[in-house]
Amino acid sequence: MNNKEFDNILNECLERLLVKGESLEQCLERYPQQAAELKPLLETALAAKEASAIQPRPDFRARARYQFQSALQETASRKSRLSWGWFPRWATVVAIVLVLVLAGGGTVFAAESSMPDSPLYSVKLATEQVRLTLTPSQMGKARLCAELADRRVTEIAYMAGKGDAGQVELITRRLDEKLELLVVLIEGRGGLSLPGMLMAPPPDTGEAEAPPVPPPAEDTAPPPEASPPAVITEPGKGWGGKDADDLDGNRVRLRNTLVSDAAHNRVVLRAALDEMPESVKPALRRAIVVSEDGYEEVLEALEALE
Amino acid sequence: MQDEESLVRRAQKHDQEAFAQLYEEYFDRIYRYITLKIGDAVEAEDLTQQVFLNTLRSISSFKWRGKPFSAWLYRIAHNQVVDYFRKKRRTAMPLEENLVSGGDNPQQVTERKLDIERVLSAARHLTEAQREVISLRFTSELSIAQVAGVMGKSQGAVKALQHSGIVALRKALSVTENE
Repeated sequence: MNNKEFDNILNECLERLLVKGESLEQCLERYPQQAAELKPLLETALAAKEASAIQPRPDFRARARYQFQSALQETASRKSRLSWGWFPRWATVVAIVLVLVLAGGGTVFAAESSMPDSPLYSVKLATEQVRLTLTPSQMGKARLCAELADRRVTEIAYMAGKGDAGQVELITRRLDEKLELLVVLIEGRGGLSLPGMLMAPPPDTGEAEAPPVPPPAEDTAPPPEASPPAVITEPGKGWGGKDADDLDGNRVRLRNTLVSDAAHNRVVLRAALDEMPESVKPALRRAIVVSEDGYEEVLEALEALE
Repeated sequence: MQDEESLVRRAQKHDQEAFAQLYEEYFDRIYRYITLKIGDAVEAEDLTQQVFLNTLRSISSFKWRGKPFSAWLYRIAHNQVVDYFRKKRRTAMPLEENLVSGGDNPQQVTERKLDIERVLSAARHLTEAQREVISLRFTSELSIAQVAGVMGKSQGAVKALQHSGIVALRKALSVTENE
């Protein structure tokens, strides 16, 4: 008997033993000639099957389910959250006035440096949205997005220090959103309904609609799985560079900034974890995962362009 | 469970109920798969959670091309495990009692826990591909065809890996017993 035949018999016995519920003896009776060789293997398979008795701890299961449902709801409402309606109307109006009329003044500075526990924080977020919208090029938006992601990490560390797990989770979602937007911008998927893109002049692609995202390879997990090839085939269109040298230079600068931010933020958040009370640690751990994975995705998206 | 393809299509449109059904269907299995792969039931918790968050983020990119949804999901879990080993190399923690099902009999639970720890420990001596097959077949309870879909291999190749994996596991278990 060759190996292939034995592999088939072994598999047949495993199916009978593990799926159909036959006993070891019944299986062996079917193949008396191979019984001596099969017996120890089937016993080992039964031992391995014991590992299926592992089950998630009830508290982990409950926590995971809650966080997943939160993320699910977050995703479902993302479009509306990304709209202007997300901010209080007064904050949006104030932000637009501040950016357009008083840019560089003390009030803008005060809002820009405010933390989530400050009354000016809504103005800060709205101001960021205005800046993102008014930035004309994809590259400019990407650089700004990197800056905003970096701010979110500072805010997470700050609110963790205040012991506010709820705020840490909220800002973590904003961080995740900014890093995702960065990937979208880098990949040139400008057709998505992101507010900054909707309000900015559309990239001159020469087509009526944005090109569809190519289907992903199915043997890779996200982010590589979801990463289409770059759309930057014509320098100066989309990323806003004048020529290929500008484009490469911008990419390199953006990459250097992101590499530096990723490393710095990793240190900041991990250092914060050691000092925080237990009540904030789960939220902070989630922030660390989002930050590290997010920056990695962004850098992979940039590398895919090279 | 409702027809998986329609569930997945609904989940791709952010239907929360459909996504919740997929989550419940696969959560324990993905957790067990990761636990056997990394040999650490506590670390497997974070990874399992991340797998489902990644799935949520990228499900819109999933396309039906003859491969089942489970193959795609396990691929995400596989990549999460690869990433884990790339980033951290840690010693596995001992299993906690409440990680093991086994009724109300404390002695039975303890014995089962020891058996599982032996299997997890022995599984570390397998090759990556052998561990993948053993984990998918015996803890996630996938068929040979499903495992082949996840691993991108022929069913014959999976059967051969199953055979060599069980042999290697037996050898590792007997070494553990003699120690």
